Amino acid sequence: MTELPPHTESELIELVRSSEVRAPDSLHRQVGTLLASRRRRRLALHPPVLAAMTAAVVVVAALAVFLSGSGSHTLNMHLAAAPTLRAATRSAPPESSTNHAELTAAVDGVKFPYWEDRFGWRSTGMRSDQIAGRAITTVFYADASGRRIGYAIIAGHPAPQISGGAVFWRGGVPYRLLSEDGASVVSWLRDGYLCVISGRAVSGATLLRLASWSDHHASAS
Amino acid sequence: MRTLDPQSLTQHVDRLYRAAWALCGSREDAEDLVQETFARVLARPRVLSGEHELYYLMRVLRNTFLTSRRTASRRPVTVAALDDVVAADPRPLGQPERALEMQEVYATIAALPEDRRLALVAVDVLGLSYREAARALRVREATITTRLFRARKEVARLLVAELAPEPPQIPVARREETRANGVLPSRETS
Repeated sequence: MTELPPHTESELIELVRSSEVRAPDSLHRQVGTLLASRRRRRLALHPPVLAAMTAAVVVVAALAVFLSGSGSHTLNMHLAAAPTLRAATRSAPPESSTNHAELTAAVDGVKFPYWEDRFGWRSTGMRSDQIAGRAITTVFYADASGRRIGYAIIAGHPAPQISGGAVFWRGGVPYRLLSEDGASVVSWLRDGYLCVISGRAVSGATLLRLASWSDHHASAS
Repeated sequence: MRTLDPQSLTQHVDRLYRAAWALCGSREDAEDLVQETFARVLARPRVLSGEHELYYLMRVLRNTFLTSRRTASRRPVTVAALDDVVAADPRPLGQPERALEMQEVYATIAALPEDRRLALVAVDVLGLSYREAARALRVREATITTRLFRARKEVARLLVAELAPEPPQIPVARREETRANGVLPSRETS
């Protein structure tokens, strides 16, 4: 360090007040996403405007995919699992009224599972992240003893290639199980989307059972 | 009375992040706290009764911080974030030495007792007036003055003790012991 620390209170005040530490870009993006989400809710009352905006977003997204290539090599298991171990930032999504095996939350139509009645894991919150150019949506679940699981679905095609860990086959689908930062992590593909589930103090067997539950959730790819 | 313009909030992200960092002592927790604060504010339309937006954000930040602390204390399993999920860039406009210094300053502020920490964050980090800070923290203005005085003094003293090249650093445990023997000035009592 080349500068001396503040020696007096007035120096301290000056230092703190003149600080120009910037928030990380990821946080700026998250706030932007929250604002966009709010705008979308308001625009839902105006279908023509919403349709025009949706078309614009589709074109931009298609261009982004075209220009950036697959980008699948940039996201690894470590990064993909990270949001599942962080804190929720939004309230829990409710159970779907049409399918009692699903929540209302989804990524590109891939719904998060509803586990409360069958397994005792109730959804407790959500968060959204942008990591390595991928939008990652995570739903958190907790059981009666306070254990927590994070279930992430990574948006975008093709799904990132994940390697490493022990491979377990369930219904023709390979599930990769490994330990990450003291937590068990399982990854697999659902309808072509990479999913990651992890939890501390939760066994790999439990995670595998939850991940592979319900035939229509898993698909070989 | 006016409705809060959500778009105007984007200009406060950096400042709110600094405030959250000083409250939490960790960049990752600060990021989560700011996200949650904005999520709460944007959940529905907000009406401000003449006050500054920052004042309102400070109120929500404080409530969110206290709620998350209570929730975390009830949670039987501590869930830690991976340290390199998002490579937070602490550099203030490309000045690495200054960044290191601010990191120490925020860590020291975060170690203060909660009431003093909140007062210092509201006034010195966010830049609220004493009056706004008092309203945001739901205390009297005189209380803010007292807490701020003690907080600044404590932080300055700790920074001198921990960062200055002379005299040599004393480990925390040793410092407590030394203080008890009267070598260093005693800690302010609230």
